[in-house]
Amino acid sequence: MPASPTTYAKTEVDGKVVVGVADFAVTNNPSATLVTYALGSCIGVTIYDPAAKVAGILHFMLPDSRINAEKAQQSPAMFADTGIPRLFKSAYELGAKKQRLIVCAAGGAEVLDDDGHFKVGSRNRTMIRKIFWKNNILLAADETGGSISRTLWLKMADGSVIVRNQGKERVLWPQ
Amino acid sequence: MAAVADILESVDRLPALPSTVIRLTAMLTDDQADLGEIEEVARHDEALSMAILRFANSALYGRAGREFNLRQSIVRLGGKMLLRIALEQQASKLFESAGEAYGLRRGALWRGSVGGAFAAEEMAKKHAFPDVDLCFLCGLLRDVGKLVMDAHYGADYLPMVSPHIAPGRTAVEGERAAFGADHAQIGAELALRWRLPQRIADAIRYHHEPPAEEPDHDLLFDIVHAGDIICLWAGLAIGHDGLQYKLAPHVRKGLGLGRREAELDITITWGRLRELEEMMDDSPTQGKST
Repeated sequence: MPASPTTYAKTEVDGKVVVGVADFAVTNNPSATLVTYALGSCIGVTIYDPAAKVAGILHFMLPDSRINAEKAQQSPAMFADTGIPRLFKSAYELGAKKQRLIVCAAGGAEVLDDDGHFKVGSRNRTMIRKIFWKNNILLAADETGGSISRTLWLKMADGSVIVRNQGKERVLWPQ
Repeated sequence: MAAVADILESVDRLPALPSTVIRLTAMLTDDQADLGEIEEVARHDEALSMAILRFANSALYGRAGREFNLRQSIVRLGGKMLLRIALEQQASKLFESAGEAYGLRRGALWRGSVGGAFAAEEMAKKHAFPDVDLCFLCGLLRDVGKLVMDAHYGADYLPMVSPHIAPGRTAVEGERAAFGADHAQIGAELALRWRLPQRIADAIRYHHEPPAEEPDHDLLFDIVHAGDIICLWAGLAIGHDGLQYKLAPHVRKGLGLGRREAELDITITWGRLRELEEMMDDSPTQGKST
């Protein structure tokens, strides 16, 4: 584990690491709180290694990077298939181990009456399950679907993961 | 439409369309306007001058090792780009916050507005719509009614609208049930009070429910509506209302919007917004609170 806390993130204010759309952050700062807002059809993925005290959060927008390879190159966190590997690898660099990681997810909502034409949220949900299944990663907890917006928090102090919608909070992990 | 008028009249200070935008719009749509006049307007708006200089001297427009002054920058950028910069920059003030009503973080409504403008513009180009800039402007202003709702209801908005939100019901239907009017109708009325053309007001009015049938159908409304949905998928300006909106079937069919096209548009819209944010030093923070 590095001698001093390291955070790969764009915005950190008073220990609160704010992760925007198509972005991710990992940290081993024991007092940090990771948060991502505006999860509609996008999905937020949190990872936490309680032994190494390393955590990360990803806010991806779309399932498959093949739709825009150039954007995937510039912003790998935009897509599930490029963002999730990037999130995990960055956490490993800070000492996290795959077998210890607690993985949670939230988001994947849909606009109303989609009629199966787009299903952006649903396709995002399917993609994370596919990626995790292929890589032998279990989803510890998730709250996905519907047509609501969600905010996702991870507190480094105890590894708890919280989902908030319209001011109401729910602890996703530990259950 | 008594509810619309009542809500507008009860707000002490209605949002104002920045005078710089009004003056520049008038000048740039007038073939007689000269660059000296435009420079004069820009000079009186320090933030706008700074934005013009920043754009003209950026890697996108400038040449390495050369600095352009305000007049040179105006010439270099050209009229349409000047109006665009003015709108984007001034919109950041107008849409700074929708406060508590929609649960949007500071700057989130601006991101949604500009994102919708970019999405509408892309769609307009793709469908050879004759006035791309009109689509941009309507996309930018479409949610202006949210400012009025926030000024009128503030923190009371959510507890008032919540009982009217039901599965399958859109957020605008919920607003009409709760308040007798929705933010799109109120935004349209505000646009008319700003003396904007009727067609722009109608684009705002119909941005969630564009008419499918003639004589009310207008491709402009379809484009602005589709841009709004692209914006939601891009995670921009999602508030308490979440994704409780519908893409009108006639718009999906008419614009030939399939999954692949929509996802590509999402990435392009998001990418353009990021470029703009990087260009604007003082870009608002992204996201929202729920």
